[in-house]
Amino acid sequence: MDIIEIENLKHRFSDGTLGLDYINLKIKAGAFVVVAGPNGSGKTTLIRHLNGLLRPTVGSVKVAGVSVQQDLLRARRLVGMMFQDADSQIVGETVYADVAFGPENLRFDHDQIRERVALALEVVGLKDFSDQRPHLLSGGEKRRLAIAGILAMEPKVIVFDEPFASLDYPGVKQVLKQILTLHQAGDTILVITHDLEKVLAHADRLIIMHKGKIVRDGVPAEIIGDIETFGVRAPCASQLGMEVLSWLN
Amino acid sequence: MAELTSFSFHPGSSLLHKLDVRFKIFFLILISLISLGCGFTGLCILTGLLTALIMHSHLPLKSGFKEFRFFIILLLLILVARMLATPGTALFETKSIAITRPGLMSGIRICWRLVVIALLGFLFVFTTRSSEIKAAVEWFLKPFKFIPAKHIATMMGLIVRFIPVILNQAKETAEAQRARCLENRKNPFYRLIRLGVPLIRRTFEQADRLIVAMEARCYSENRTDAILSATRIDWIALLIIFIICGGIVSI
Repeated sequence: MDIIEIENLKHRFSDGTLGLDYINLKIKAGAFVVVAGPNGSGKTTLIRHLNGLLRPTVGSVKVAGVSVQQDLLRARRLVGMMFQDADSQIVGETVYADVAFGPENLRFDHDQIRERVALALEVVGLKDFSDQRPHLLSGGEKRRLAIAGILAMEPKVIVFDEPFASLDYPGVKQVLKQILTLHQAGDTILVITHDLEKVLAHADRLIIMHKGKIVRDGVPAEIIGDIETFGVRAPCASQLGMEVLSWLN
Repeated sequence: MAELTSFSFHPGSSLLHKLDVRFKIFFLILISLISLGCGFTGLCILTGLLTALIMHSHLPLKSGFKEFRFFIILLLLILVARMLATPGTALFETKSIAITRPGLMSGIRICWRLVVIALLGFLFVFTTRSSEIKAAVEWFLKPFKFIPAKHIATMMGLIVRFIPVILNQAKETAEAQRARCLENRKNPFYRLIRLGVPLIRRTFEQADRLIVAMEARCYSENRTDAILSATRIDWIALLIIFIICGGIVSI
């Protein structure tokens, strides 16, 4: 079953710049997809259509069979989004309050909110940080907090926008491990990045974007050969003709 | 944003953390009004009360002092203006300037009052979540049907949420400019413009990112608010504050 269906999606910004140029894309439930491309290729613009943060100029976006435009709240509940800058995503004064933000917006009662927050914090391993101030967490912990905030809303698709940006090696491993746990639990994962090295070993599909278009789409090993033409650096291992290994090994 | 401003909520288990936010807002207003009309004895009593609360809540006065440094400059200006502009017996006199005793006393009294009010505000923000402030504002405005309570409460909650963000932006921008020797430029207007323009731009950008993140998590005015419930501690605190304020007024 396709959980995301994008048809003829075109987006033009108010200043006239073309963000997306007639994109057609279907993503199966439970897939692990990496979307790569240079800066300004339209990656972030594309994912912001998945939960209605941006509206299409032309075309349609459906999540689990229903148009995003038709039911915005449903789309935002089903598609959780982790942004590049984890600091700007933090809205609560404590770790607990931040994770509770989403369920509070969905108007759950206090008992349900407590349950969801406890579960989400348990999954990301931040249970003991409940009363901690979020801004004092490390980079990796902040990303995990952002993931917990999304998990508390019980989404089906989780989108990570540059999840490894400005993280140290232990931070990258923490976040990557978390992404894989979510994928194993059945969530559909979309990772937006221009740095394939850290995540490609786990992806079952690679999409390359360039100037608002999808220029390559397929199994990573099959399409990785010429991706540098589009301004995306291929992982070192693949350049040497070897298999790309996981950062967790 | 590793180093966080102290002018924001800090989790804790002090008495002030436990008090119902509606009572805290009422105490804040009441004590501020009382402090505006009281003399030195009253200010001494209020300072004693504040000192006890500050120690009990573990308010970080040292880092707070740094953030209030511009406020201290303002207080000094008020003190100087009062000392020079109030007529009375001169304590010190030159050809054209005279510092008067009533001016000095009046200046100290005004500055002391302002310090009491500022510290009260600091204590309030330090011990209260913005979600609780939002819920309390909504509760206070509920009887006034013609006032859009939810709108105002949401705006207030976001303003309180944003104060530490803006202070952090200002700190980071100032540090980046100091690293590029801005202190060599002595013109205060030049420095102010150099700090102000990027600060405003960054604050708007940050606000924009925050709005997008909030929207992505289904933010709306109609959400599950914090539970407000008055307990016995709140009523006892109310009684104590009434007694203290009554005592100050009767002096």
